Amino acid sequence: MTAIAAPSVPAMPRLALGRTGTATLLLLPIAIINAIGFILPVLNLARMSFNEALAGGGVREAFTLANWTGLFGDTFYVELIVNSITVSLGITLATLVVSYPIALYLHRSSGRWRTFLTVLVISPLLTSAVVRTYGWIALLADQGPIVSTIAAMGFSPPRLMFNTTGVIIGLTEILMPYMILSLLAGFGRLDPRVEEAAMTLGAPPARTFWRVILPLTLPGIALGCLLCFVLAVSSFITPKLLGGGRVFLLATEIYDQAIVTLNWPLAATLSMLVLIIFGAALAAYARVLRAID
Amino acid sequence: MMKLRVLLGASAVAFAAATPALAQTKTVTLAAYSGIFQDHYTKAVIEPFMKAHPDIKVEFYGMPNSAQMLGTLRAQKASPQIDVMIMDVSVSKAATDEGLFDKIDESVSKNVADLYPTARIEGVGGVAVTFDNLVLLYNKDQVKTAPTSWNALWDKQYAGKVTIPAVPDIQGTTLTIIANKMAGQDDYKKTVEPGIKKLGELAPNVQTWDPKPDVYTPIANGQAALGIGWNARAQVYANTSGGKLGVVLPQEGSGFQINTINLVKNAPAGDAAKTFIDYALKPETQAAFTEAMFYAPTNQKAQEKISKEALARTAAGSMDKMIAIDWIAVAGIRDAITEQWRRRVIPLSR
Repeated sequence: MTAIAAPSVPAMPRLALGRTGTATLLLLPIAIINAIGFILPVLNLARMSFNEALAGGGVREAFTLANWTGLFGDTFYVELIVNSITVSLGITLATLVVSYPIALYLHRSSGRWRTFLTVLVISPLLTSAVVRTYGWIALLADQGPIVSTIAAMGFSPPRLMFNTTGVIIGLTEILMPYMILSLLAGFGRLDPRVEEAAMTLGAPPARTFWRVILPLTLPGIALGCLLCFVLAVSSFITPKLLGGGRVFLLATEIYDQAIVTLNWPLAATLSMLVLIIFGAALAAYARVLRAID
Repeated sequence: MMKLRVLLGASAVAFAAATPALAQTKTVTLAAYSGIFQDHYTKAVIEPFMKAHPDIKVEFYGMPNSAQMLGTLRAQKASPQIDVMIMDVSVSKAATDEGLFDKIDESVSKNVADLYPTARIEGVGGVAVTFDNLVLLYNKDQVKTAPTSWNALWDKQYAGKVTIPAVPDIQGTTLTIIANKMAGQDDYKKTVEPGIKKLGELAPNVQTWDPKPDVYTPIANGQAALGIGWNARAQVYANTSGGKLGVVLPQEGSGFQINTINLVKNAPAGDAAKTFIDYALKPETQAAFTEAMFYAPTNQKAQEKISKEALARTAAGSMDKMIAIDWIAVAGIRDAITEQWRRRVIPLSR
């Protein structure tokens, strides 16, 4: 807004812009795009969540809290929200556990080998999540290689697909690249000399890990967990394909309400709720970061 | 590619020069289902229409489902880009209620007078253009003798091999009404309680409630043994599955799904849109589309023009076995049915 005031300055208006003025000017395009492409639609969505849904898919302009109170008064939706959050937390934890050793190894490797491994880690992102999910369907199917191997070993064949297990397996693998990259980004403070110092002072490897490596990598862990949690809550394709209609999550429910049942006000309410959950996750992340520092 | 473009350009120029009247060519934009519906509708209806009416061009705007069509229509309310829309009847009721459609009656097309009474639905702007019905699907390798009853779905022998598109998909809704009737309650408007109980017994057999990409593919490739689907698509996929997909209209009967054709309010194509609707409802057109994709016709005069083979693969020959489903009334109880499924049917399959 300084830009508008600038011409009133008599001489050298360009210099008069100053640092903040230039910054505002540079930020203006993206701010406008964000306002039109993100803020306005979100406000629209917020408004929709107070409209009244009519039977058969109609929407009546109104201002009612019915969608919101209905959500928390209905055990199905309370369960759905709790389920979405716990499943997403579970996926985040599983992703962290399998990604951490890979990230640590990558952090310690160097040269061409490191480049090669990094490309290997990122390469799954070149394939769409849909294709990778179909890959998991082939692997986890009742006649698939995993189930038949377990059955051949004499155990009763488990159900690995069309349930929560399938969704967790699929999403964990799909989110791994994001977790590994976030971990790597947050491993900056991990200095090999500190590890050596701990070892020299006689700390066994397990203790070095718990007392030195883990605390130093907490920023990476926090970032990776935030990213994976947000992506898990909002992921839709994988739960839709691997959930078999049994796993009710926020994202799949929003799809059903918006596209199948045509209850747009309820879909909007659920979408706003997801946004609130994201806000909470961000706040938690900020607190963790402050605690680390 | 280059050659083709030059050729197309040259022929377009030649064409335009030869017929100056063509400068007034009108374009009718038809929104309807993408995929195999689009393929067959284009061949059986749109191409012959454009041949018969060289001054009208029909653009097919394919969308995956009716809800998306309604969303597009809502967004374009101020200045519609679509003229004619083919969609599920309950969605067209919602669109009519929101004032997005004009009324189609004898003044739009004289063919409306020849439609079955069930094709003209109270409170809906459009009229029915296709009838479809729920069928039992089976994999011919895994189910050796063709089942004759819906009860096959409940057979313990197929535990974990049954695939059902659950509510809110209307295939699940239709199955609820059929199960309700099998359990002794004919009037689903009174209660669906017996149907819900019966479906609860089916639940442990179910492999997935959300088959992807559709219900026909996993049954055709043997991932599932039994399922439910719509007749028209099932018949087309049965043809292309190399004899793997079996389709049965069970002895207990079935229920209809209705697609309506609708005239968008303030349609930019004006009278040309009405000309297309009139053509779509003609007995000859209806017969041609039944031959192509096995939807039952909505025009009473179409039946005599359809070959015996095609007719046998629709519900046209078993009208007496069909349950009359009032989809407008069902829209009112749909939420309640969905709630029952989620609380008392799907959890039993975990």
